[in-house]
Amino acid sequence: MNRTFGRGVLQYASTIIIFMIIMLSSSAYAMSGREVYEKVHEVRTKSLDHKLEATMVLFDKGGGKRTRTLVSYSKKGNAESYKALVVFKTPPDLKDVGFLVHARTFSDRDLWAYFPEFKRIRRIATNSQDDSFFGTDFSYDDFAGPSALDDYSFRILKEDAVDGKPCYVVEVTPKIHRKYTRYVAWVARDLWIHLKIEYYIDKELYRTGTFREVKVISGVPTAFKAEMENKETNHRTEMKLEDVQYNTRHSDDLFTQRALERAGK
Amino acid sequence: MDFINLLSHISLKHIRFQKARMFMAVCGICLGVAAMVSIDIVNRSVLKSFEDSINHVTGRAALQVTGADSGFPEQMLDKVRNVPGVEYALPVIETNANLAGGKERSFMILGVDSLQDHQIRNYSLTDKSADIPDPLLFLAKKDSILLTREMAVREGIKIDQEIQVQTVQGIKKFTVRGLLDPEGPAKASGGDIAIMDIYAAQPAFGKEGRIDRIDLSFLPGETLNTMKDRIQSALPEGYYVDTPAGRSRQVEILLTRFRKVIGLIGFMAIFVGMYLIYNAVSISVVQRRKEIGILRALGATRVQIITLFIGEALAVSALASFLGIGLGIVFAKLTVGVVAQSVTDMYLKTSVRELTFSWDFLIKDVGIGIIASFAAAAFPAFAGARITPVSAIRAVPYSEDGFLLNRKTRIASAFFILLSILIFTAYKTAGPSSAFRSSAATFSSMIFLVLGVSLSTPAFLRLFMAGFHRFFSPRMGAGVRLAGLNLQKNISRNAVAVSAVFYSIAMFVSSSSMIYSLNRSFLDYIEAVERCDILVSSGHPLAMGGAPSIPMPEEMWKDIEKVPGVLSADPFRKTFLNYDGRRLFLGAIDIVRSMEYNQYILTAGNRKDIRRLLPHQDNIMVNEGFAARYRIKPGDFLVLPTPNGPIRFGVTAVVVSYVSDSGSIWMDINTYQRHWRDHLADNFAVRVKPNESIPTVREAILDRFGKERKIFALPSREFKGIVRDMLGRSFTLTNAVNIITLIIAGLGIIITLLASVLERTREIGVLRSIGMKRGQVSGVVIIESALLGAAGGVLGSATGVLIGWINLEGFFRLDLGASVQYHIHFVSIGWSLLLSIVFSALAGLYPARRAAKTNIVEALAYE
Repeated sequence: MNRTFGRGVLQYASTIIIFMIIMLSSSAYAMSGREVYEKVHEVRTKSLDHKLEATMVLFDKGGGKRTRTLVSYSKKGNAESYKALVVFKTPPDLKDVGFLVHARTFSDRDLWAYFPEFKRIRRIATNSQDDSFFGTDFSYDDFAGPSALDDYSFRILKEDAVDGKPCYVVEVTPKIHRKYTRYVAWVARDLWIHLKIEYYIDKELYRTGTFREVKVISGVPTAFKAEMENKETNHRTEMKLEDVQYNTRHSDDLFTQRALERAGK
Repeated sequence: MDFINLLSHISLKHIRFQKARMFMAVCGICLGVAAMVSIDIVNRSVLKSFEDSINHVTGRAALQVTGADSGFPEQMLDKVRNVPGVEYALPVIETNANLAGGKERSFMILGVDSLQDHQIRNYSLTDKSADIPDPLLFLAKKDSILLTREMAVREGIKIDQEIQVQTVQGIKKFTVRGLLDPEGPAKASGGDIAIMDIYAAQPAFGKEGRIDRIDLSFLPGETLNTMKDRIQSALPEGYYVDTPAGRSRQVEILLTRFRKVIGLIGFMAIFVGMYLIYNAVSISVVQRRKEIGILRALGATRVQIITLFIGEALAVSALASFLGIGLGIVFAKLTVGVVAQSVTDMYLKTSVRELTFSWDFLIKDVGIGIIASFAAAAFPAFAGARITPVSAIRAVPYSEDGFLLNRKTRIASAFFILLSILIFTAYKTAGPSSAFRSSAATFSSMIFLVLGVSLSTPAFLRLFMAGFHRFFSPRMGAGVRLAGLNLQKNISRNAVAVSAVFYSIAMFVSSSSMIYSLNRSFLDYIEAVERCDILVSSGHPLAMGGAPSIPMPEEMWKDIEKVPGVLSADPFRKTFLNYDGRRLFLGAIDIVRSMEYNQYILTAGNRKDIRRLLPHQDNIMVNEGFAARYRIKPGDFLVLPTPNGPIRFGVTAVVVSYVSDSGSIWMDINTYQRHWRDHLADNFAVRVKPNESIPTVREAILDRFGKERKIFALPSREFKGIVRDMLGRSFTLTNAVNIITLIIAGLGIIITLLASVLERTREIGVLRSIGMKRGQVSGVVIIESALLGAAGGVLGSATGVLIGWINLEGFFRLDLGASVQYHIHFVSIGWSLLLSIVFSALAGLYPARRAAKTNIVEALAYE
């Protein structure tokens, strides 16, 4: 009986100690996880008015390599609304394949795709946001703008450095259903963008991303080189930005289904 | 002495000394159970392959919306999506295709919305279950196709390789963009499946703007029935909302007749087993009556004697039944491929890759074997118990104790035969909706007839022998007369052997006559409605009924008519529609041109009306089975579901048609195209100009179209040959059971004659001592055997003719219509009589040898 009682006391004490450590460590940072992400969100929202050109290289597990170039346009609307259009330029097989986003809020958006050979605009299921973005290791969500912060909880795990840049390592857990159960992001302390990200399904790491060559363009920190790797399929995608413009103030006509059919022309 | 003691001291000793006989009895029961097990396995494996295919392709869909098989407008998708509570509604195209190279393997094409389909089905373009190097390319290109890894390995196909596939548009090149692991839909159709984006599949398979099915899931909190009702009310008539299990049920309905026939064969197998056990126990009683007498004299009660014989039968049948399971699995492996092919030819494409076992049905089959053994053993066991000790010890001939010749047996025989006649008369006179108008009624009639005739075997044998002595015996030698007298001396015992022969011959003659009648009716029908010179089809040489064809553009008839020597080419289109829960066949033809050379057999209505009322008009012909089921006659109206909503059609005539068990409807192809908006054809009936050579024109057609599509151009005779082969295949199981039945009958005769020889050891000794030669003795035994075979053959042939008629009524005329005429197959009767005599004579060889070897001194001392 004494032994059982003793073990109970020990367990209770350990719980208290662990709880205290967590509390202390959280309060040890100048910011909370949520505050870090408010900053990230701010930068992302700023980047919503843009035109960028990029090259993507897809590496399969057998060492095969497929290259494609694309152009992305985006326009910020009122409150949380925004529109985005992505059009592939090369290879010839994929020329003018397009992808259109109409977001009413950060958590409520419509996605469409256009395939010229079919001459048909097709809707992409909203809950496909974590699916592969047209076969790359990026997801639709990676291209679809910021998410609603209230749909997630944030916890700073530690401070770290990536390529010499100090970072907050934040654990982000979705409150809504997502393919992943959590991700851990290395957020640059002065730039408020991701430098590294790891997606987990339960304890299993399934996707990792790194963001390099960060430059500040029109006041918006931008990683010119990104790499995403799918640990399940051993497939990875490199994306390199060629040209980036912010505050572009595109016309609304660029974000219609008709424009999608015309590849943004 | 308790039961176990009796078994161990008496039965085991008996089994040890009668190894050959026990071996044969075990073989017989084992064959009977094996037949049942194999039929069960084959039946379940075929159904399971359908179920699995449906389930794999269905994924997590809770409900499915189907319409006409030719497809329905994709706008219907929005109607379903707008129904409150619907979570996902995803379009599906399911069609057939053939590889244009290699073994030209047929496979299923599943066209899905690749961007959304993973919401319902378990596969993804990017996860571990597939190897798809560039999913975007798969989505962006119309020539993209995904194959299962199994199919790719088998056909030697690699990723990014171009393959040629036979489609509605002809041979088209597709690029294999990835391989699917055997998960989810990739497991359907035995792995013979390819996945395409629905919008690429639509044009390739002639379904522009149309889909075959909508698979849907609904939001949490909604109930199945509410959603079903809600969706059904949002759709026009003719659309069918059901669960995937419901779709399996539809397949089951489609296969009802197939299953009924399989069930009948299974029953025949049980009956054969029962006969054998009855035979074995009867002979055992006959042979051991002296032993029974001694046991009774020593104080054994009747109950103990009954228990002994039944216990023996149960022990032997249990052993044999378990052996039968193993043999049944072997039989199933041997026959499942043929049965699956037959189902593919006639109903739906199926591919049985593995046998389906289930302990419950194996236990059931063993149970039936044991229970049947009990029932079969009970009768002779009771008879054995009635033997008085005195008569048994004095070796009074068994016939004098015979229970089979008494009045009660004769009354029972007459009662069963009368009951059979009454049930059959009720069936024939009952209205279409009456309970008597069913396969169950004809089945009962058949059972009672078999029972009644079985019980009449001794009486029949007595009559047969009387006739033999009167008309044949005087003209024959002493050996024949002696053989006849021997048989007459022990009618009851010999009746058992006659019963075995009777039953197998009855089954043989009945199934031969039934198969012959069906073949004749089907071929007469084909002869009447396919009077063209060449039949051009694609995907499957028949392209009729449920055969998985690949349609061609209907406009192709114009190009065919340009081929030198072609007089005309008329398109035929088939589809299926949901009507009253059944999958109704709809055939569309150019009625005016078709009637110029085809002779539609009408059972109501007239040709003039067909010519006047069908072309381009909303009028139809229905087949007689459908007309009888729904009491439809010319002048009535029928509302049929079309992709454009329900349309009222006038019935002009009732025709003979055997293309579907569920019923068939025929209309002018122009009317069909107007309502179904489907401009495809499953085959073209080509007529050749007078004085032109059919083979030359056929070659010209193949030359003209062979490069752009893989077609079959079958001259009429070849086409009919394929139909004949297909019909032949469909009766493979029946023939297999017939052969088993004949083998078992042979075993029965050997057992009976062996017993007879042993019983007459002293008598044979006497004959040998007064100068009869060994050859003469064996000759007598062989003649006895041949006579038994002849008696069984005559009775079996007569009964078989009746059973064939009853079965044709219940299993075919009921579904296909009254025009399926019953034809007695006299050739098979001739063969049966010859076989029964020769087979029985052969079966008598071994007992004859035993008899001839009898040692005179020992035989005279035998008592």
